[in-house]
Amino acid sequence: MSAPTAGEGAASPAKRVPALIVTHADLAQALVRAAERVVGTIEDVTLLSNEGLSRSDLEDAIETCVRDWREGGLLLTDFWGGSCHTCGSAAARRHGEVVIVTGINLPLLLDYLHNRDRFSAPELAERLQQKGRDSIRVQRGVPA
Amino acid sequence: MSWALHRIDDRLIHGQVLVAWGARLDPARIWVVDDGVAASEWERDLFKEAAPGIDVRVASVAEAAAAHAEEAGAPRAAFLLVRDLATALRLVDAGAEVQEWNLGGLHYAPGKEKVNDYVYLDEHDRESAKALLSAGARLVVQDVPASRPQPLGALDPAFAQ
Repeated sequence: MSAPTAGEGAASPAKRVPALIVTHADLAQALVRAAERVVGTIEDVTLLSNEGLSRSDLEDAIETCVRDWREGGLLLTDFWGGSCHTCGSAAARRHGEVVIVTGINLPLLLDYLHNRDRFSAPELAERLQQKGRDSIRVQRGVPA
Repeated sequence: MSWALHRIDDRLIHGQVLVAWGARLDPARIWVVDDGVAASEWERDLFKEAAPGIDVRVASVAEAAAAHAEEAGAPRAAFLLVRDLATALRLVDAGAEVQEWNLGGLHYAPGKEKVNDYVYLDEHDRESAKALLSAGARLVVQDVPASRPQPLGALDPAFAQ
């Protein structure tokens, strides 16, 4: 993990922005396993799958995870319009500082991990949206 | 064209509907038929925003029943989603003509018995299902287009002929 070093950033360091990753099947676990291969052991990230859950049960499960976030946090979900997103949106509605970012990918997750101690939840969400988009690139065959 | 899918699914709009059925049937409109959602401004907004590029219409059972026949003649495909069998039956009782219901997701809750991995029913559900069958509708269990459609009667002994 790369934590901010002493003296970096503002005088009063931001609190760590917590994250809950909600996905289909075991994508959340797989993403975190993959991220751990890159940055080492990851702490303070909560994982949830929608597997077998009705809308109301998924909403309740998400709410249980985010209700103790006193200063906000991020809900990272796999795609816009899926149950992970819409149930998250319903749960987040009752917790004003929860910001949702859909379309999680590995570069987005890594950027979260590198920057979660440096920004507020809304700032980090904007950053991750851009990072996730920028990470998708096409490389055509390189001429010999 | 219009009605391409009448689906009973407690998640209403979600990934299987948008990505799997959506790619197969290319709906221009999705009707979310639910009295609770229709009565809640933020829930209406939640579903309307859930499907970019698709016209999501949130309606009460009464509103949907009244609009059902006209929508059937509209251009392009439309989906109709309800969250449970009881709502499907209320819609039919209110005058909507539906030949086939897709049972796509009725997840576990206390008191419900497993029919397959994504359909769990209790006595109340079975009474509604029987009434729908008596009215002449087919009840087809199929979560996504790639999986095999099966009549509810083939999976649940309670409906064995």
